[in-house]
Amino acid sequence: MARFEVPEVDYTRYTNRQLAAIPLAVLAVAILVIGGAYVTTGTPVDPGLDFTGGTEMRVAVDAPSDAQAREDIREAFTATPNSIQRVGNSDVYIATFQTEGSETEQSELTRQLESEADAAGFDVRSIEGVGAAFGSETQQRALIGVVAAFAGMAALVFALFRTFVPSIAVVVSAFSDIVIPVALMNLLGIELTLGTVAALLMLIGYSVDSDILLNNSVLRRSGDFYESTYRAMRTGVTMTLTSIAAMAVMAVVASFFGIGLLASIGTILVFGLAADLMNTYLLNVSLLRWYKFEGVAR
Amino acid sequence: MSAWETIKENWRVVMLVFMLVLSTLFLFAPAFEPSGSQGPAAQESATNLQYGLELSGGSRIRAPLVGVTAEEVQFEGRDTAEVERQVAAELETGDSSDVIARFSTNSSGTVELVTENATQADLRNALDAAGYEYETVRDGVTDETRQQTIEVLESKINAAGLSGGSVRTIGNGDFVLIEVPNDDLSEVRDLVNSRGTVQIAAYHEVQRNNTTEYVNTTVIRQEDFQTVGTAQQGEQGPGPNVPVSVRQSEAERVQRLFVETGVAGQGGTDCTFSQENGPSTTEPCILIIRDGTVVSSFGMNPSLAQSMRNGEWAQDPQFILVTGSFERAQDVSVDLRAGALPAGLALDEGTATSISAAQGDDFKRDSLIIGLLAVLTVAGVVFFRYGDPKVAAPMVVTAFSEVLILLGFAAFIQYPLDLSVIAGFIAVIGTGVDDLVIIADEVMAEGDVNSRRVFQSRFRKAFWVVGAAAATTIVAMAPLASPWLSLGDLQGFAIFTILGVLVGVLITRPAYGDILRALLTDR
Repeated sequence: MARFEVPEVDYTRYTNRQLAAIPLAVLAVAILVIGGAYVTTGTPVDPGLDFTGGTEMRVAVDAPSDAQAREDIREAFTATPNSIQRVGNSDVYIATFQTEGSETEQSELTRQLESEADAAGFDVRSIEGVGAAFGSETQQRALIGVVAAFAGMAALVFALFRTFVPSIAVVVSAFSDIVIPVALMNLLGIELTLGTVAALLMLIGYSVDSDILLNNSVLRRSGDFYESTYRAMRTGVTMTLTSIAAMAVMAVVASFFGIGLLASIGTILVFGLAADLMNTYLLNVSLLRWYKFEGVAR
Repeated sequence: MSAWETIKENWRVVMLVFMLVLSTLFLFAPAFEPSGSQGPAAQESATNLQYGLELSGGSRIRAPLVGVTAEEVQFEGRDTAEVERQVAAELETGDSSDVIARFSTNSSGTVELVTENATQADLRNALDAAGYEYETVRDGVTDETRQQTIEVLESKINAAGLSGGSVRTIGNGDFVLIEVPNDDLSEVRDLVNSRGTVQIAAYHEVQRNNTTEYVNTTVIRQEDFQTVGTAQQGEQGPGPNVPVSVRQSEAERVQRLFVETGVAGQGGTDCTFSQENGPSTTEPCILIIRDGTVVSSFGMNPSLAQSMRNGEWAQDPQFILVTGSFERAQDVSVDLRAGALPAGLALDEGTATSISAAQGDDFKRDSLIIGLLAVLTVAGVVFFRYGDPKVAAPMVVTAFSEVLILLGFAAFIQYPLDLSVIAGFIAVIGTGVDDLVIIADEVMAEGDVNSRRVFQSRFRKAFWVVGAAAATTIVAMAPLASPWLSLGDLQGFAIFTILGVLVGVLITRPAYGDILRALLTDR
């Protein structure tokens, strides 16, 4: 049977500075991207309908072609849709409308869209209307949630290892694991939704697994540093690759079916876990090596 | 080794098998079928699982209650009705049903203003003008008002025939969540949006300062009704209507008012009231006023008028409310039977969702496909990595049993499955396999495992990492699971991820260790 083996990296060839430089540079670029977005748009990442308010409608349109269906949708509604997305190869389309900047109140907009869709002969599959006030409330709670989860994770990590450098190494790489996907969302134009927030929280829990494994192997187990690192790496890389594979499949299939929640959870976890591979085996390793060979000696 | 010893040695596996049998029972045994209609989605299916709104179709409305509340208002010996009247008199509308006063101590209590767009300043001004002292004014309504509103919403939904609906508070109690199996959002919104205050008034002439003008005199208030029938087509007679009867204690008063206002005139009355024309010359009318607007107007037939005039009607105070259209008859009947909402819902500050049954079925099928593909991917990667089915097969089986136990649990507590719960299941498979990889690698590291003791020590070391990883996941998911932070959408995801981690650490992962030991050490 075919097998894959995790290759052994010869860490001795690189200095700690060299190892840490790449993830730190990526982190810096990510922070710049987010900062830039914040300066230009006023938000660190483009908030989606869940946070701005608006209406998402799923309608089945009977039209001879894709272009015709899109045209029909644009004509049917007096409000201009922000986006029209086709679900797989079906005749179902997802149209979103934002209330931001418009005079119409949320419940009125939804009611109007509903009757216009009926008038145009579309089969309404689902409607979701979010009030602007509710959206900003959700945004606030989501932010508190992410901060609380991160703080809780950091406190737990410090309690588990009870030494500063190895603990901060885990916390820094977890931070980077969240920041990099957020920067990628900006670059790829992915909106922040409840699904992406859930994925970011999930990342906080998921991504520290490999860091904990590495720290445990190096600090609490006997054996030479490089041997311990390789042992942890074999397990950790297998773990992360398994998760990446599962999440990538979920992201692709769910976006084909137009299930936004599952698609965004999958996408963000793929980004975050890929970032975690880099952060754990470059940043965390270099910090641990410094701690093991120089930090402890001092 | 005796059979008993074998069981004792492998008690973790026994435990896993026991949990699996139990879950299968909860999932499939008819004895555990969902009883009654809890949640919006009681339906017949192959399993005992309850499907939530997203997977079965229906409407969900989530909104805060409209209102501002003044705390510790000194009532100075007056009763609540008097406080309400005095405060309402200082408001633009002057309607005392917009003000709710409640005692919280013997001499003080809360005053709520529940009109739409009510501001803290409005209430402050009204209280100041009416001369009441108060401590603070805040947004939101009291717990009592919220509770009453929920009860009225429940009875409105039941009265409208939407069985299987549910109403509850979410968040830290500010929001009301309504779920009903009907997927016509407009209809549901109209049902819950109206306060539903219905009153019957007489519209008649009065002489005032030597001029004739028309006034409304309230004759029957919502609380005066004894029984309210269902809406009738009334094809043979007056057209769509609602039969009602008035409380015996109020019957004399109602009868007297109808006679005094001239509605029960000699030979009945013929009503030509029309809202568009404003005050017009008409004989006295009966008006049905719902939430401040006139729903319908009609006159009184001669025989009823006669029985009121000679006082017979009060012996058997029945009456029919003529509504003009069957739809309005239904609205009036629902409102009268359910009672009025103490406070309305601020729909623009919430969310409204509806999903058709067909879309629900699609989501069900699609998410099943996504879940299966994710599991197959995980299995594929694990087989590819280890090559050894002795290690990989139990891994996949164990990950599967975690999901089976969770499904059994969901069926047992009747937790409605939604897309977010399915995302939780997939996350559980992901973390579960991660931990199994840790255990497998640790146990098989550095040569063969041939003694029980070596195995135990390695397993324990691996379990430290598994436990630590589980703890971080639980900590990270806790904010989302807590009702204080979650507004409901992702609570299922967080709850099932946490449950999955717990099931994994306590039951399935230790059992995997035992299975692995049996496969690797017994030779």
